[in-house]
Amino acid sequence: MKIRLPRRALAIGSALALTFGLAACSGGDSEGGAAGDAIVAETAFNLKTIDPHRQFEFTGSTIDNAIYQTALEFEDGDLTKPTDGLCSYEMSDNDKKMTLTLKQKDAKFSNGDPVTVDDIVFSFKRLQGIEGNPSFFLDGVTVKKVDDETIELISKNPNPALPYILPNSSIGIVNSKVVKDNEGTTDENDGAEQFLNQNSQGSGPYKVETYDADSKVVLTANEHYNGPAPKFSKVVLRNVSAETQVTDIQSGQADVSFDLSSDQVETLDKNAVQISSLPSTRSIYIFNNTDEEIGGPTADPNFRKAVASALDYDKILDLAGENGQRMASPVPNEFNGAVPKDQAPDRDLDKTKKLLDKAGYDGEAVPFHYASDQAVNGMDIAQLAQTIQAQLKEAGIKLSLKPAPSATQLDGFRAAEQPMGIGTWGADYPDPSNYNVFVPGGSVAERVNWAEGDNTEIDELAAAATKAEGDDRSPAYAKLFQATTETGIWVPLVQPVSTVVVSNRIESYVSNADVTFDFAKAE
Amino acid sequence: MSVSATDQQKNLRPPKIHPLLRFVLVRIGISILLIWGVTVVTFLMTNLVPTDPVAAILGDRAAADPEIVAQTRERLGLDQPLIVQYFTYLGNLLQGDLGVSNQTRVPVLESIGQVFPASIELGIGAILLSVIIGLLLGLLSALKQNTIVDHAIRTLSLIGISAPTFWIAAVGYFVFFFKLRVVGGAGRLDPWMTPPPRVTGLYTVDSLLAGQMATFTNALGHLILPSCVLALFTIGLLTRFSRSSVLDIIKLDYVTAARAKGLAPRTVVFKYIFRGALVPIITVVGLAFGSLLSGAVLTETVFAWNGLGQYAYRGATTLDLPVIMGVGLVIGIVYIIVNFVVDLIYGFVDPRVRVR
Repeated sequence: MKIRLPRRALAIGSALALTFGLAACSGGDSEGGAAGDAIVAETAFNLKTIDPHRQFEFTGSTIDNAIYQTALEFEDGDLTKPTDGLCSYEMSDNDKKMTLTLKQKDAKFSNGDPVTVDDIVFSFKRLQGIEGNPSFFLDGVTVKKVDDETIELISKNPNPALPYILPNSSIGIVNSKVVKDNEGTTDENDGAEQFLNQNSQGSGPYKVETYDADSKVVLTANEHYNGPAPKFSKVVLRNVSAETQVTDIQSGQADVSFDLSSDQVETLDKNAVQISSLPSTRSIYIFNNTDEEIGGPTADPNFRKAVASALDYDKILDLAGENGQRMASPVPNEFNGAVPKDQAPDRDLDKTKKLLDKAGYDGEAVPFHYASDQAVNGMDIAQLAQTIQAQLKEAGIKLSLKPAPSATQLDGFRAAEQPMGIGTWGADYPDPSNYNVFVPGGSVAERVNWAEGDNTEIDELAAAATKAEGDDRSPAYAKLFQATTETGIWVPLVQPVSTVVVSNRIESYVSNADVTFDFAKAE
Repeated sequence: MSVSATDQQKNLRPPKIHPLLRFVLVRIGISILLIWGVTVVTFLMTNLVPTDPVAAILGDRAAADPEIVAQTRERLGLDQPLIVQYFTYLGNLLQGDLGVSNQTRVPVLESIGQVFPASIELGIGAILLSVIIGLLLGLLSALKQNTIVDHAIRTLSLIGISAPTFWIAAVGYFVFFFKLRVVGGAGRLDPWMTPPPRVTGLYTVDSLLAGQMATFTNALGHLILPSCVLALFTIGLLTRFSRSSVLDIIKLDYVTAARAKGLAPRTVVFKYIFRGALVPIITVVGLAFGSLLSGAVLTETVFAWNGLGQYAYRGATTLDLPVIMGVGLVIGIVYIIVNFVVDLIYGFVDPRVRVR
């Protein structure tokens, strides 16, 4: 049967084709890359808020680093050297009192108000009082205004970590007057979060223009910033999956990509992009539950040590990509108190066999829990779990993989119900005391039922590390974490790499362990 | 003038309702019951998840503090019995309050209002392409049954149905955006462009209303590829359905009679065959449209299309209960409305099911 399409259908088809054709041409027009004075960065959002005193995620921290100044900073991104920020500081001999003196008297908020001691005091007290996720930073610290230039932070116990804590963007200084006018308080009744999400109140190089926690955050230059004016007057941070970032960074659609894995970086045209690889402040480790009823064989130290000696760490490092590092303790290698990485164990299957014999391991499958949807600095945890399973199988240890979404896996881990699995820890602040969570009675140790008093030797080492002062702290903590790791309860696997890919349009930039990418210094 | 008893009885009777109006009212009543059912199911299913949402909200440190955990549980009302929680939820719902996201503290209704138009825009683009291409290919395939054209169309439709959307999206993005530069990149607009003033939330429509032609063409350029990717499955589905439906009708006596009368082939095809084949096709189009409107997680993820699918995915992975329930409710309502409209369309298309 011969038919002809009706004229109306042809007309509609032609109109659609024309419209789509025109649009397609316009799509081609956009190929020129991020226009003019805007820098476009892409990351898979992990963003709940940009209220500095509530945010505790990577994306929020990246944004707040550009918006808020802090009392102290790290010298050129060196996490071992806290230095002056808005204030200079002095610690008392017993590390219980820190005196902050306002140093940058020309610092101004984005509305032109000067930064005062009252703003700093309010910011510290708000952080403490609203009981958000980062409130613990100033636990046990009393904040006191001495005069219009001086603040005292008095800690109940010696607090040598305080200079390492204050540079955190969660302790950003806000304009107290404006925040108070918008329901901001220093207790749990605070209601300024949504206001701060839409109207940032910082004195950093940028201020927020638009905020959408699901798709895009746009920052514009703060004209009252007391430092050098940023070359890019606008920052566009977009929520884009890592797979799409690969294409966007090469096409000029984006200038900065934060989430590419080592495999993805390998595929990039190295002539089209610049790659910055930094040691991550994350630690990836295996945990073993100490409770026999929950963990079965993992409660036996010989079994745990067998696991540590059965792993092929070089192959695990390959998963992290170039510049991934071995770890001899849960503390990242660049931090004070880290155990030197050359002391990390190597694979020794004979040793494994002997240890398994000692443990009387009968080959029962041990449930192995991990977050199947998680990637740490581009390192896929599901792939890591499968690799570990295969390596341990070669050594005669059987794992039964228990993948789960991050929230579910974390819930079970926190409830101390998982025999064995993969854990990750990101530094809250770069001081070894932050890793006390791994010693008996610490919040992470409790997840494997490892309580204070279970190992008196380690308890004593922990007490000694806490008491140590000055140059004695680092070796004291290293000794503590070496002993902690030797129990096999934690098997440190790898310190991954934080990779930032930057397009060639950006001629110079600063990327360091403190601020992964400094938008204000990009040119 | 006297009024007879019969007339009096007639006056006392309620006025006769038009059958179509009655049909609509009954369907609305059923829809309300269905929506209530959806609230029960989403609430129960969400609360059956064997994970503590408070743990998902709090960071590692805060979650280790029982006081903060208890305060958070109290603030969210999670310390109340489940039945109390449900009626609180239902009471708020009746006032148009879907709750506040546990993660972002933004009202769920506000967020859905932001993301839903993006899914509608994508869904409309995809369904337009699907209906036009799918129906024409299906018709052509049936009319050319067992020829090379038929075989080619059936093979293509099979590919459309079976190819993984995520893969097609990634490859399509690489080829058409990165290599050929004929479509826009990820997102609904170029990163440095400002969205048009919001009226409908559909960028193509809002930019036209604002007279911003550059924004319109840019938005359309960004819409084409995800729409095409999303449409591929539906095109394949509709091609196969319409082919089979047309083949069923083409053999019927009334078609033979129409041909015997000497009617023009085009008239026979479009007024007799195609119309007769439309009822099952409309059902599929309705379901497909409901599915497209409900958000397409994978396509939205690849193209950074901030729609309902991505919002739902984030809610699910972060155990954001108000978001999960809010999205579940919206999706339920979308399906109910689409099915309602489909039922009405049946009446227009097929006189046999028309309400009299």
